[in-house]
Order: sequence, then C-alpha cells, then structure tokens
Amino acid sequence: MAVDTAVPGADFFFKGESGRNTRGLLRLLILVTIAAAAIAARLFSVIRFESIIHEFDPWFNFRATKYLVNHGFYKFWDWFDDRTWHPLGRVTGGTLYPGLMVTSGVIYHLLRFLTLPVDIRNICVLLAPAFSGLTAWASYLLTSEMSDSPSAGLLAAVFMGITPGYISRSVAGSYDNEAIAIFLLVFTFFLWIKAVKQGSIMWGALCALFYGYMVSAWGGYVFITNLLPLHAFVLICMGRFSARLYVAFTTWYALGTLASMQIPFVGFLPIRNSDHMSALGVFGLMQLVGFAEYIRHQLPSKQFQTLLRAMVLVVFGLAFGGLVLLTVSGVVAPWSGRFYSLWDTGYAKIHIPIIASVSEHQPTAWPAFFFDLNMLIWLFPAGVYMCFRNLKDEQVFIVIYAVLASYFAGVMVRLMLTLTPIVCVAAAMALSQILDQFLVASQPSEPTESTKANGNANGNADIKDKLAAAIPESLRSTKAPLVGIYSYLSKSVITGAVTAYLLLFVLHCTWVTSNAYSSPSVVLASRLPDGSQHIIDDYREAYYWLRQNTKEDAKVMSWWDYGYQIGGMADRPTLVDNNTWNNTHIATVGKAMSSREEVSYPIMRQHEVDYVLVVFGGLLGYSGDDINKFLWMVRIAEGIWPDEVKERDFFTARGEYRVDDEATPTMRNSLMYKMSYYNYNSLFPAGQATDRVRGSKLPAQGPELSTLEEAFTSENWIIRIYKVKDLDNLGRSHQEAVGFEKGNKRKKAGKRRGPRTLRVD
Amino acid sequence: MRVLQLVAAALLPLTALAAKKSPEERFNEAHAKPQPIKLDDRSYDALTKAPRDYSVAVLLTAMDARFGCQLCHEFQPEWELLARSWTKGDKGAESRLAFGTLDFLDGKATFQSMQLQTAPVMLLFHPTQGPHARPDKPMERLDFNTGINKADTVHQWLSRQLPDRPHPPVVRPIQYVKIAMTTTAVLGVITFLTVAAPYILPIIQNRNLWAAISLIAVLLFTSGHMFNHIRKVPYVAGDGKGGVSYFAGGFQNQFGLETQIVAALYGVLAFATISLALKVPRMADPRSQSVAVLVWGGVLLVTYSFLLSVFRVKNGGYPFWLPPF
Amino acid sequence: MRLPLLGLLLGLLSFVSALSASGSKLLVVIEDEADKGKYSQFWTDLENRGFQLTYRSPKDASLSLFLHGEPAYSHLLLLPVRAKGLGPALTPNLLVDFVNGGSNVLLALSGEQSVPSAINSLLLELDINLPADRTSLVVDHFNFDSKSAAEKHDVILLPSPEFKKGVKNYFSVDGLIAFPRAVGQVLGNASPLLSSVVKAPSTAYVYNPKEEGESVEDPFATGSQINIVSAFQARNSARFTVLGSAEALEDKWFSASVQLPVPGSKAEKSSNKAFAQKLSAWTFMELGVLKVGQIQHYLNEGSQKGISNTSEVASIDVNPEIYRIKNDVHYSIELSEWEIDHWAPFSPPQGDSLQLEFSMLSPFHRLNLQPKAQTANSTIYTSEFKLPDQHGIFNFFVEYRRPFFTNVEEKRTVTVRHFAHDEWPRSYVISGAWPWISGIWVTVGGWIVFVALWLYSKPAEPKVKTR
Repeated sequence: MAVDTAVPGADFFFKGESGRNTRGLLRLLILVTIAAAAIAARLFSVIRFESIIHEFDPWFNFRATKYLVNHGFYKFWDWFDDRTWHPLGRVTGGTLYPGLMVTSGVIYHLLRFLTLPVDIRNICVLLAPAFSGLTAWASYLLTSEMSDSPSAGLLAAVFMGITPGYISRSVAGSYDNEAIAIFLLVFTFFLWIKAVKQGSIMWGALCALFYGYMVSAWGGYVFITNLLPLHAFVLICMGRFSARLYVAFTTWYALGTLASMQIPFVGFLPIRNSDHMSALGVFGLMQLVGFAEYIRHQLPSKQFQTLLRAMVLVVFGLAFGGLVLLTVSGVVAPWSGRFYSLWDTGYAKIHIPIIASVSEHQPTAWPAFFFDLNMLIWLFPAGVYMCFRNLKDEQVFIVIYAVLASYFAGVMVRLMLTLTPIVCVAAAMALSQILDQFLVASQPSEPTESTKANGNANGNADIKDKLAAAIPESLRSTKAPLVGIYSYLSKSVITGAVTAYLLLFVLHCTWVTSNAYSSPSVVLASRLPDGSQHIIDDYREAYYWLRQNTKEDAKVMSWWDYGYQIGGMADRPTLVDNNTWNNTHIATVGKAMSSREEVSYPIMRQHEVDYVLVVFGGLLGYSGDDINKFLWMVRIAEGIWPDEVKERDFFTARGEYRVDDEATPTMRNSLMYKMSYYNYNSLFPAGQATDRVRGSKLPAQGPELSTLEEAFTSENWIIRIYKVKDLDNLGRSHQEAVGFEKGNKRKKAGKRRGPRTLRVD
Repeated sequence: MRVLQLVAAALLPLTALAAKKSPEERFNEAHAKPQPIKLDDRSYDALTKAPRDYSVAVLLTAMDARFGCQLCHEFQPEWELLARSWTKGDKGAESRLAFGTLDFLDGKATFQSMQLQTAPVMLLFHPTQGPHARPDKPMERLDFNTGINKADTVHQWLSRQLPDRPHPPVVRPIQYVKIAMTTTAVLGVITFLTVAAPYILPIIQNRNLWAAISLIAVLLFTSGHMFNHIRKVPYVAGDGKGGVSYFAGGFQNQFGLETQIVAALYGVLAFATISLALKVPRMADPRSQSVAVLVWGGVLLVTYSFLLSVFRVKNGGYPFWLPPF
Repeated sequence: MRLPLLGLLLGLLSFVSALSASGSKLLVVIEDEADKGKYSQFWTDLENRGFQLTYRSPKDASLSLFLHGEPAYSHLLLLPVRAKGLGPALTPNLLVDFVNGGSNVLLALSGEQSVPSAINSLLLELDINLPADRTSLVVDHFNFDSKSAAEKHDVILLPSPEFKKGVKNYFSVDGLIAFPRAVGQVLGNASPLLSSVVKAPSTAYVYNPKEEGESVEDPFATGSQINIVSAFQARNSARFTVLGSAEALEDKWFSASVQLPVPGSKAEKSSNKAFAQKLSAWTFMELGVLKVGQIQHYLNEGSQKGISNTSEVASIDVNPEIYRIKNDVHYSIELSEWEIDHWAPFSPPQGDSLQLEFSMLSPFHRLNLQPKAQTANSTIYTSEFKLPDQHGIFNFFVEYRRPFFTNVEEKRTVTVRHFAHDEWPRSYVISGAWPWISGIWVTVGGWIVFVALWLYSKPAEPKVKTR
C-alpha cells in the first residue's frame, strides 16, 4: 500500500516524466492484482463443493441462458415457456431482464470463436467473479474522479473487491442479475460524473448507453433513474446549474430513456410509470432553467429576472400538478409495489404479502451492516464529511447517494448491495486522506517549507479560494492552513494502526466470505461432532429422482421458492415459481396447501398436478422448511379467499403457532401439515416423535393421507414428494377406498336414519 | 338509583311493544332511526330476536375511557360513516340491513352472554325468514384482530356476507374546512418564506448544517434505525436479574438503545478519523500536534476494539478482536 | 384411458378367434358340478360365441383370479353359492382388484340361497344395496307368472327394458322375461357409474318369506326403486353386472311358457334365452365397446386451409406441439364401436352428441363434433375453430361417458403461444400510426436542415472577428 500512495508533494522528488510512467505502471499492476484478489476471494464454493449454480433465481437465469445458447437470440426473445406456471405458461422472453443471459451468451460464443469450447455452466458460474474484477476497476475510476488524492481510487478498488457486502451476491455460482448489475451501476455513475464534470455529449451518451445496459440487466436500474435526476435537481437548487449539467443530463435522459424502452419487459414504463417520472420532471425543469438562464444572460434587468424565476417556479408547479393529475386519473401508473414499499415501510406487509414474504426484503439490523462492511461502515461518515470540504458537483453526488443508499439499505437487506459501492468510495476517500497526510516523507520544519508544502499538498487551493468566495462559510475543520505532520513517531503510529486495521479488514472479509456467503444453499454443509464436514445433498437427490422417475411432463406442485430449482434441476413443469407475477395462481397453490384434502384434491385435479413436493426440516433441524413458510401461504391464500382460508384458524386460542397436540384442527387437517408429518412417527419409538425445528413433540397418532401417496422421501427427509392419486376406479371417495383397503366394513345404507333417498334416473 | 328504575319502568312497555311487533314493523322503525342506532340490552334483543326478515349489523364496542380501547375509538367514526352512507345509499332499504351500536356500558348482559373478552366485535345477523334467510348460519362474527380499522374493509366483508343485495358504497364526505386550512397554511408558509428568505437563506446554505444533517442521517440508517422503526423493537429490555441488558442476543434483532450506542460508536470513530485526516495536519504547534495524534489514535483503537467486542456479543462465532477489549 | 385401450388392442391380437372385444377366457364359479347341467343351454350358447369356459368351485384350492399379478381371466361369472362365504380366492378386495384389472364380472344372485356377506360388502362398494335379511325376494301381485307361482307370486314377468332418450338399448327383446325368486337391489344415488337395466314394476316390493306375518311393514324397497338387473361400469370400463335371479339363466326358464295373471292374456314362451344372451354379450364386452382410432389436429390456415383428403394431410405437419393464439385449427377423431364380432362405425344414439372441449382450467370452447367421413369400421368426427385469445397450455379434450358405452376420454395437450415480435402488423400498415411516423421524419429532416443552416452560417464569425 505504501508504494502507490505517493502524495503529489512527492512529485518533486522523482523526475517528472519517468516518475509518472513508473506510477502508471504500478497503478496497472496494483489494479490487476486487486482484480485477481477479488476473483480469488469468490471461489470458495467452487473449491469446496463444485462448479454449481447457487440458490433459486440463478437456476432460472441458467436455464434461460441455456435456452438462449441453444435456440439463438430471436427464439429467446419470443420464448413462450410452457414448463412454468402450468397451465398458464409464461411469456418469458418479454418478462425478464435479458442482460445477464445475453452477456454470458456473447461470452460463450466469443470463446467458441476463439476455439475455446467452455461449458456454458462454467461461464455462468464464473461470470459474477469476473465482473467483480471489473467492478473494482470501475470504482477506481469513480473515486479518482471524486478525490484529488491518487491513492483513494486504489483503496476504493481494494475495498470494492473484497467487501462482503458485494461478495454476498457475487460469489462464484450466484448467477444473478446483480452479478453484472453492480458493475454497470458503478460504471454508469462514473460516466455520469465524467459527463457532468466535462459537460461533454460523448460522456453523456456513453452514460446513457451503459444505463441502457443496466436497464437490460437489473430491475434496480430505477435507482439510477431516480438518483441522477435528484443529483441534477439538487445542483439546480444549489444554484450550480451550468451548461455542463444541462448537456450531460439532457443527453443522458433522451438517449437513456430511448435505450431503456428497447427492453421488452420495460417497454413504455419510462413514460407511464411514476418510478420514472422524477427523471421526466427534472428534464422539463432543466429546459425551463436553461431557458431562464439564457434569457438572463440576454437582458440583465433585475425585475425581469425575478419575474422569470417566478415563471419558472410556476410552470414547474403546474407541470407537477399535471403529473399528479395524470397519476390520479390513471394515465400514469402509480408507484410499483416493490418501489413503493421502500417509502411506506408498512405497505408491503398489508397489501403485497408476496413481497413481504421474501426474506431479503426484510429490514436490516445493525450487525448486518457491520458484518458486510466492517470498518468501512465507520470510515463512511468520515468520507461523506470530507466531501463537504470542497463541495463540487461530484461531491454533492456522493452525499446524496450516501444518504439515500443508506436509507434503502436500512429498509431492505438486499439493497445493502447498492450501498456498498458508495461506502467503499467514501471510506477510500477518508482513508486516503489520512494516508496522504501521514505517509509524506518530507517533514515541515520551517514556516516557509510548510507554506510550500501547503501550496503543493492541496493543488486546488485556487479553486478552494473561489469556493470560499462563492459560499459564505467553508467547513470549520478546514479553516486553518494545511501544515502537515511533524514527528515521525506520530506518522509511524498512525500508519501502523491503519495498516493493522486494513489487515484486520482483509481477515474479516475472508472469514465472512468463507463462512457466510459461500454455501450454494442447494447443497447444505454441516459439521459433524468430530468437526469433519458433512454434505447434505437432499435437494439434488430429490430433483434427480424427479428427473429420472417421472414422466417428461409430470406437473409438480410446490411452494414457489422451489419452482426455479425444479425447472432447472428436475426439468419438470411447475405450477408456480420465484417469478411471482401472478398472485392468484400462487394463492391457489397456497390454498391447496392450507386446506383439507377434500378441498385440495379438486384444485390439484383441475391443475393436472401429478406430484406435490414439500420441504420438511423437522428431522434435521433445517429451519428453512415449508412449515415455517406455511403462514405466508395461508396469508397469500387468505388475500384471495378470505372466507375459505383464515390465518386465525392456524393459531391456537392463545395465539401460538404450534404443530404438536395443541395444534388447531385446521392446522392438522391442512395438506401441508399432513404431507410434512406423514409417516414421521415411524422413525421414532411410539409417542417419541419430535420436530427438531419447532422443538415440539408430535401427536402420537400421525396424519393419514388418502388422496396422495408418498412417492419419495430424501435421505434426511428434507424433501418429500407425493403422488396425486387418480380418481377411484369404482367411483368411491378416496377416504372410502382407503377404508375398504384397510378392510373395515362400510355400514349398510338400509340402516341410515331419516327418509330413504330415492334414486332418480 | 330510583331514577334508573323509573327509566327502566318506562322502557319496559316500549320493549314489550317492540317484542310484540312484527319483524316488518321492527325493521321499519329501526330503519327510520338515524343509523347506526344506539342500542342497549333490551333494544338489542328486540332488534335481533328471531323471527326477522332483515339483517342486522351490530358493533359491540367499549368507548369508555376506562377500557382504553384504542381500536374502538379509531373505528367508531368509520363505523358511523359506513352506516350513514349505506342507509343513504339505499333509501328504499332493498338490502334490508339495519346498523346498531352497542356499547359495553349499555350492554353488559349481552357481552357476558356472548363471553366477549375483546372489543370491538361486529355481529351480522342474517334473516331467519324471507328470501335471504340463512338457517344454517344465523349469525356471522367479524373480529377486528386482523388490524381492520377502515370502513372499506368492513364494507367488503358485509358485501360478501350479503350476496345479491345492493351494496351502497362508502362515501366519505369532503372536508371543506380541512382543504381551506391546508391551502391557507400553504399560502402562509410561502409568504413567510418569501419574507424571511434573506434571513433563512444563509442558514440553509450553511455547509456545516448540511454536513451535520447528512452525517446524522447516515449514522442513523447505518445503525439500523429503520429496523427499529419497522419492527417496533423495545428500547431496552431487562435481563433476568433485574438489571438492564443493552444488547439484544442474536444476529437478527436489536434494541433501540443498542442502535443508539452503536451509532455513537460510529460517530466517535468517524470523528476521530476526520480529526486525524483534517484537523491534525493543520496544527501549527508540533508538540500539541503529536499529542493530538496519539490521543485520537488511542480513541480510534479503543472504540474500534469495543465495537468489535460488542459485535462478538451479537455474533457468537466471530473470531477477531483488538486490544484492549 | 391409455391402458385399457392398449389392453383392448392386445386382446384383439392375442385372441383372434375371440369375439369379445377383450379376451375370451371366462371363469365360471359354480359350487357343485351337479348344478352345471341346469345351465347347459347357456353354456353352449356362450361357447358358440367363442368363449373358453373354465368351471371352478369356490372351495377349489387351485382357484385364483390372478396369474403373475395380472387377471388370469377376462370375464367372471359368479353363480350363487350356499356357503356363507366365497372362500379365500374370492374376497371382496380380490374381486375389486380383478375389476380394477379390467376384467368383467357377471354376478348372479338367487333368492333361494342367502347372499354371502363377501358379495354384500362388495356390492356396497359399488353403491348397490341388498336387503338386510339375506333371503328376501321381490314379490309382485300383478306381474307374476300365474303358471309356476300362482300363490307365491315370486316369479316376476317383465317386458323388454326401456331406457330414456339418448341411451342406447342393448337389452331389448320381444316377449316377456321371467325372473324367478329375484333378489332386489337398490342403487345409491351417488355413483354415476351405476345404471339400472331391469327395474321391478311399480307394484313390486321386497318380501321375506322366512318371516311369518300377513302384512309387511316398512319393506326394504318398493316399486321401481327395486332393480332386478343392474349394471356397473368402472372408470376403466370394466363391467360388473348384477342379475337378481340366477334361475333366469337356467334351461327350464329358457324354454318355459309363462302367463301374466291378467284376464285375456295367453301363455307365451319366455324370452329369457335372448335376454341372457344380450346381457352376457354386454357384460363380456361384445357390445357397446368404443375404440378411438386416429386423432389429428392441425393448422387450418394459409396454405393448408380447408384441406381434407388424407394425402394432403399426410404432407403437412400434423399434431404440432405448439399453436399461436387466434390460429384456426382443425380437429378430427376416429371412433368405432364393437358389434359382437366386428368394428362398426360409431354413431351416438338419438338426442346425444360427441363433444370437443378446448380447455385450460376451464373450457374455452365446447363444440359438437360433426361426423364428416365414414370408413368401413369407423366414423371420423371433425370440428374446426379459432383458438382463443389466451396463451397457455391447453387440452383438446374429448370425454364421452354414457351408460352402456365404454368410456372415451382423449386428451391432447398443446401449447398456445403469444404473438412473436415479428408477427405484429408493421407500423406503416396501421393508419393510426401515420401521424407519429411522419412526426419522426419531420423531426429528422428538421434537424438535418438545422445542421445545414448552422454549418452554413458558421463561417460568418471570423469576418466579424477580423473587423
């Protein structure tokens, strides 16, 4: 670290030209090593397990990518997927963000072209790490734009490379949109800053281009769509409107909007949806202000200017009112639920249980922040503060981004991802400031020297003076002239401390990555008492069972979490999956799961379900199982059939959610309960059956199933698959049929009470 | 006391009368009254007793301050709004639905007879005769435990329970006063701003102010304030032994105070960094500067190590630490 | 549906001599050889119709309905037994499995012997109820045979059975059928698989001769609620017929002369022989067996619009996996019916019709299939329609469940996709888009003009500077 952080003051000690070259070379080397480190840090799971796709969504992306590679782009574009959302099917080509798949597809064909036949799976698995390297580079560029210190960029790159907050979504195998989106995010911001600083159409156009790419890659593009206008707006309010800003923003907005509208899934949203209206509004405002400025330059009459300003305000107000009107009248769609739930934090829980049910949409507790960002989290405010030191356009951007992103990250765990880049940048600025001060070989002794050092140490003194003139009061901490550090002792102390912290940070990141973020949730790893690692592979066991033992078109019903995996690994049609676009259909499955067999069976018949898959952690103590998710199924079903499914019925009188003897009848008759605990008693001596997740003793008498029959149960009982029986051949109800099989007599009709029912035909 | 008896005596014949009346008359007179009708035990029985060819929706509530029923007070205006707009909605009373409110004070007997512990509860009595009679389920019950406090949800529920009958929508009266007040307030604010602009502007444009605001915001959010806000976590909790436990166990939960402590730690750390980076190099006097460096460095070390130790509390297996903690 | 069809075809292959549509091996369970003679005419009749009869006694240890887990016989004829039970080889569960295996059962009861409890519980599973006391008979004081049962009135004479419109009648005979000492059955309302063949007349009732007493209060069943012959057809089309009186199959009733107790009626020969033939023919799948031949669906648009003859159809892509919304499609299904010894073109009875559903969750179309062509032994029903404006996974679904016909349930799953990006009309085709298109070009042109003007007016500046 010490090598590259040569302060500008040191330029005089090297010969100018050669010194610059050597530093440039060093930069390059360091960046390359950083990228290497970033990639290496993400390979834990591949080394430990194998080159496998992780979690849930990546499985769909992987499947889509395979489709793209096999059938070509146009087929992919018009892809109607008849193996999900049975029997509705999904217009997949039009309802996904193709950026990820297309990217890996291009890479695949490129490698083919270079006669490097690489399996598409490996490309997908390693895409995220590769792009993390790029992200590090992008954040280097961004930070270099922000701070005049040469070390800041490199620090930012390092942080970005290894901070867990970003690794969490970009380890090898987590083949998700975020994998490339974060790089695009940072790079777009870099281009934006560049455009604003230079006011050049080229950079603005590039920014728009990458914005378009971002739109094609991730739904989070809305963040950019709102952050850039906000930045521009704040600048205008600060009276920092300039031709540069005008050029940059208008270029970006015009081209960027056009680009974003090319994505089928986005289509006309940019002009129909409130999420995008801020950009439009600021665009309009920009024109007004530009016009006003122009007029002002022409005729400098004071009253006229006030009039003009008033006019601008009025027009803007009118435009805003009109927008509101449009929204109310429904021409412009209101905020999309996910985006809206960020502001009204209670909204999702009440109105969109599906969104609320997703674990990564939960708010973030502070340990999560520290876990993901370690010491950056406290360098972050310092960095933000330093942005106020000389507040130019780009620093304003940093501040806004910092505040907004930390709010979002506080509301939703997954948005930690958008916070991480800015944290890295800000922290790097803060830390680099320290290093720059404390790593100067020269020692200010005489006042003349010190003033000289001062003159060099902050080369932008003249700009600062301008600012000081422009803005009434500069930052208190930067009033006094810069002197520098005298004693070597203090230099060495602080340098040592900082180095120690940095090393600790590296340790932390490695530890977190290897312990928390490197398990592909498809394969679970557990430690045996003797400390050796034990792999629990039930998921794949079950999915391969499906793949090999069921008909090609056997419909599998499961809760939506597993839809993508079943589609990807078992290659069987599913009723619902993680692309939760149809609430009703999901609610139907929820109803089938949470109702009595007699109610569920017709539903399953109607949807041609052949197999039902449930995840049951009771034996292993695997807490992410369906019984724990059950209440969400109930809630979602209740949202559609409030009279048939009632959440209240699943709680005991004392309002507890129990599975043991105290469980409510509704609970014990629900299909989910029965499927989870069917035959579970047989594992234990009589009356000893216990559920290790809920930690409760189960009823001595296990549940009976009549409309389903157990087809498969995985090694650790995590996955249980049931086959849906056909209608009884003799037209009896399944209960009767089972009863007859068991050999208990059916009572004679003659003995029935009441009037005899006469046959009519 | 005597007065009460008198009143009761006076009421008796009335109710007797009501009891004798045919359901038709009962409904008509109930419907004639302003909805919802204020009921007591007797009139409640009179209104809801079989046979009836009409439906009755009764809200059993406890408005008295003693019971401190938050929801009752929230819902009461909504309920009246619903009743009024419904009755206004079908003048001809095709839906044949009467609204009544029974307060606990007037209806202790009823509450006891139903063993109601909670309020408010809404009861919907289906007709026992006529086209819409529901002999299987004469009475529906709507519990408010699911956080219903708006007229619209109840209206939906009613509409579901009373099929193929007119369901007049809930119409909320326009509050002109409110509108006027808001407009005047807005105008006032605008004028105030225009007048006070010269004095306010420098404050608004003060950089330190903005720096402070944004720093505070960042510190709040990054120390999990939103989590407290959404999950409504307790400020502190006592540990078993009468003391106060400042840090919640477990990775996924926290206390209000805890987050403030953490925010403070972050603040101290950040401030130390800032001082080292900006203030210290600007000190002209070598000795005081080196002292300051050592002091701030010490502060940084101590606070950070404390933070780490706190984090070790939250996250059991966390292996790293710094001296002294 | 697949399996029975397959089995049926296999049956055709393996039993070329057989005349039944599903195998010819018939097991007759009869208690003692002695009684065999009583039914000789019936036996010979069956043998002439190509059945291979095997006689077994229920006590016989070698008796087993199954061979290697498969039904060993395709048909079973159960004659009444005196024993209380039917023995280990004929438990209700085994019989149910036998039926589930696709074999047919003709069960003959008799008022003489008490009905074994096994039979009782078996019939209960089919939703057929027998009198509680095992020895009750059907008695009728108006339609009895005045020759043989002048005072007991327990031989009932009935004309040929009649069915309501839309039900094909396989059991019509001319003359009277005699049912001596019949056991009355009462059919439950629940099961749609049950249908009554011969109902007792409205004046009949169930009477137990064992119990003394002049009057019967609360008889088990009365009038037309009593069934003397009832037919059950399982969902796999296996048939189970209950014949109230086994005696009706005996030789002496085949050639008995019977007379109604109404003045003026003369004695006539009973038509039991014919009826027994019809009944066994139906039960043993010689009648009312439907077979689905070729099913075709294809695009009925553009080049292949309205083509009919097979040569053309062969050339195009038949039964595609995937269609697009609003496509015109053509669907055709080939049906034939087994008549005693050959496949004949099938046509539904009067007032009934074959229907095609195009359904996803619920039917989007339900159309009557029209008979379009006829081959030597099949009718081809077709329908042409436009697919709904809804993408998804749909089924061409033909379901034909009627009494006395084997079930037809044919499902062909196709995907209906949305418009591809290049299947929409181009913008210049839509007149509404013209203003916008022209707007775009005007803008482009205007910009070019502007640039040109700008560039043209550019060089003026240096002059200004020079001055």
